[in-house]
This record gives sequence, structure tokens and C-alpha cells, in this order.
Amino acid sequence: MENTTNRTGITQWLHLVFGAGLLLSFFLPWVSWDGMLVKGSAIATGDFFRTSVALSGPDNPFPALGFSFYLFWLIPILAALTVIFILLKKKVVPFSFIAGAMSLALITVYFLFSNTLAVDFSIGKNVWSMLKPSVYIHAFCAAGLITTAFPEKNWLPKLIWLLTGPVLAYGGYKMGEKYIMGERFDDTVNIKADYTVNSVDLIREFAANDTAANKKYREKILAVTGTVSQAEIKADSTVNIKLIDTTRHFLNFSLDKKDFLKTKSIKAGDNISLKGVCSGSDYSMILDSTSINFKRATLNKK
Amino acid sequence: MADDKQVLIIKNKQMKKTILFLSLIAIAGGAMAQKVTTTSAVVNFDATTPKDALPKAENKTVIASLDKTTGTIMFEAAVNNFAFSNPKIQEHFNGEKWLHSTEFPKFTFTGKIVKLSEVKFNKNGSYTVDVSGNLTVKGLSKPVSTSATIVVKDGAITTSSAFSIVLADYGITGGAIDGGKVAPEPKITVLASF
Repeated sequence: MENTTNRTGITQWLHLVFGAGLLLSFFLPWVSWDGMLVKGSAIATGDFFRTSVALSGPDNPFPALGFSFYLFWLIPILAALTVIFILLKKKVVPFSFIAGAMSLALITVYFLFSNTLAVDFSIGKNVWSMLKPSVYIHAFCAAGLITTAFPEKNWLPKLIWLLTGPVLAYGGYKMGEKYIMGERFDDTVNIKADYTVNSVDLIREFAANDTAANKKYREKILAVTGTVSQAEIKADSTVNIKLIDTTRHFLNFSLDKKDFLKTKSIKAGDNISLKGVCSGSDYSMILDSTSINFKRATLNKK
Repeated sequence: MADDKQVLIIKNKQMKKTILFLSLIAIAGGAMAQKVTTTSAVVNFDATTPKDALPKAENKTVIASLDKTTGTIMFEAAVNNFAFSNPKIQEHFNGEKWLHSTEFPKFTFTGKIVKLSEVKFNKNGSYTVDVSGNLTVKGLSKPVSTSATIVVKDGAITTSSAFSIVLADYGITGGAIDGGKVAPEPKITVLASF
């Protein structure tokens, strides 16, 4: 009887330590990306993706779901509640389970994302070198919080809670990754143009201040009207169209292959409207002129 | 009489100047005619691996020139105009750790046909030649030697070539290469019609 009481007492003390450890380590740096420390709380504060972007890493791929990151504030809140409940001698289930499972899920996300930074973005050497001691402490406390949770004595639910967070996080991350890698550029014809401009005005805007124009138009969809100066049918059944003004600067469109039937008859002198993704301007030493290139272009209106 | 002579001398001088000027224009024009250019050459970049079929792109607005007299070949390909199928891969390609296209906006190649005398630009035919020169990627120039095919047909010239580059030579390294997701020696193919 005394042994059981002692064991319960030790378990409660351990639980208290794990709860406090979870609370504190949430606010400590978990990973270091190229020397920039990222705390566990960074996911909830928004610093997680801000740091990634600052290092030329990826931004939140699903910004519409960004609000869900606030849920991770539950980790310190539930950890604090657990500590309070122990001191008040009240039962800690399910708060400990939820806090522990969420922490393990978050650690999984940090691990996978850091690995993505290292492998796909060449940020850092490898994921293991990025992990800081606090993340191990947090993982240990999370696992401890679940395993010492009381009054639950059955190990099966504890095991399920231990695995739920990492499994769900891993599955979700991999699904997101697959979705992103399976993405394709939309057909330009179906996208509304960001800007509609005249070819001569566009060339002059680049000539006047190419830094500002590149910033404004690069990777944007432009609908450009103008007179064709050259139409070239290529061996792979695609067409390149040039629109030129008198300054020897020119717009160079590479049209999609699927538009060939519509575009093959375009000839110099035609007034047309093209839509494409502007790649910005580039000075050519060969031609001593500036080309403004467009990719994934399509015929807007002939 | 003396006045007539002077007028004649002045006229002769003017005529000589005109002939000299016209000769210069003819020489310059001849030299220009020897250099052909295009703004629609195509460069393909293929860094696919068995693990990843996505790092593959095409640029169809490459500027190129061929000097038929000296055999000089030049290419300029805007990095930002390489079109990938996947938005994320295109972002990686242009990113700071890869090609850093905002800082280094283009690939350039300047080289020469090694045995130019073997190519008859005024006669229909297909010629396999060696080309050597310097390829500049991400601000670093490295020598490249490759074979190229030149096809002359009714005055039109088509050049094509395929070669590989070592990304590490241009300071491009990282986990994607180590992890087998990007080929360490991507294949580059070039096609230009003049």
C-alpha cells in the first residue's frame, strides 16, 4: 500500500517536472537554420516561415491554413494547466495527452521541414546538425508527460497518444509535399492577366527604369498588345513572336506548343495581343539591345 | 582657267572621300553579313534522376550568334526564362542557393568552331565539328569542349549540340544533389537556327 502511494507520488512529481519542462522548452530554440535560431514557439508566432523566407527557403505553402498554427499555443497552455492541476491534486488527463501529442507532432514537423531546407534548399548541412538540445528536452518531456499521465494506468491509450502526433504530422507533411511537387503551372490562357499593356509603352517603361520594371513585372502575367515584327515557326512546332519598337529593344514571346494551330499563321505586321509570364529584361551583348522575355505565352487575341 | 582647275581638284577630293566612305560601308556590311544571329535558340536543361523527374526545363528565347568568318559562336540564355513544369522546382532553380538568377541573370557561352575550314556555309550539307569555349554560369567561367552538328540548307544554318556540365564546377552543391534528387552533371542541349 505504501509502495503504491510512493510510486504514485513519484509519478506525480515526474509529471510535474515533465509539464514544467515542456512549458519552458517550448520557448527555447529547437533548430538552427544557417545560424538562425528558431524556437518551438516560432510556429505559433509566425517566425517559423518568416525565418525560412529570410534564408530563401519556402514560405507557408498553404497560407489559407495559416490560422491553424495558433493552435500550437495550446502546448504551453495545456502544459501550464497540467502543472496547476498536479499542484491542486486533480486529474491531468486528457490535457497531458493532448499537450504531449501536439508537441511530438510539432517536433516531427520541425524535423521534416529542416530536412527539406537541407536537401532541397541547401540551407544547412543536414537535419541532425540543425537540432538544438532544447528539441530533445521537449521530446523527452512530451513523451514523459504522456507516459506518466494519471489516473490512466492502461498502456495502450498512452501508446496510441505517443504515436498519434508524429504519425499524423508525418502523414500530413508528406501529403502536403506530394501536393506541392505534383503541382503544375496553370495554363496561361485560363489566368487573368495582372497587367494589360501596349508593347511600345512596356518597352519604354523598361528602358526608363529597368530595376523598377523588373520588380513590377517579373513572374507576373502580362497581356501585351502590339504589332508583330517577327514570327518564327520552330522545328518543334512552336512559334516565337517578337514585338519591337524603334529603340531596338524588343519583347520576345515563346508560345505554347498546343496553340500551334492558332499561332502558326501569325506574320510580321499583324496586330495581336499575347499573354505570358514576364521573365524580366536582359541586356544582350550579342545584339547590344535589351530583350524582355516571356515564357508559357499564349495568343490572347488575334 | 585656274579656277576651273581648282574646282576639278575639289571635285576629285570629294569623289575620293565618297568612294572611301562607300567602301567602308561595303566592308562593314560584308562583315555584318558574316555574322548571323537569332533570338529564338533553344536550350534544354535536364537534371532529372531516377528519384526525381522534375528538374528539367527549356528556354526558347535564347540569343545566339555565329560568325561564319571566324567561327565564333555565342549564346546568352536568361536564367529566369527557363520554364519548368513545377512551380516549386522553378523557384528552387532561380533561388539564391542554386542559380541565383537575380544576381546572375544569364548563362553565356563564347566559343569557336575548331576546324572552321571544314564547314562550307555556302553549300548544303551536314557537318560535325568540335566547338570549344567558355561557359559562364553563376558568374563562373569554365572551359567547355563539345561536338556540334551544323546543317546548312539553302542558306539556312542550324546548329545543335549536347553536353554535360558539372554543377560543382560552378559552385552549385547541396543536399538535393547528394540525395540524388538533382543530377550532379545535368545534360544541356542547344539548338539554334540562323
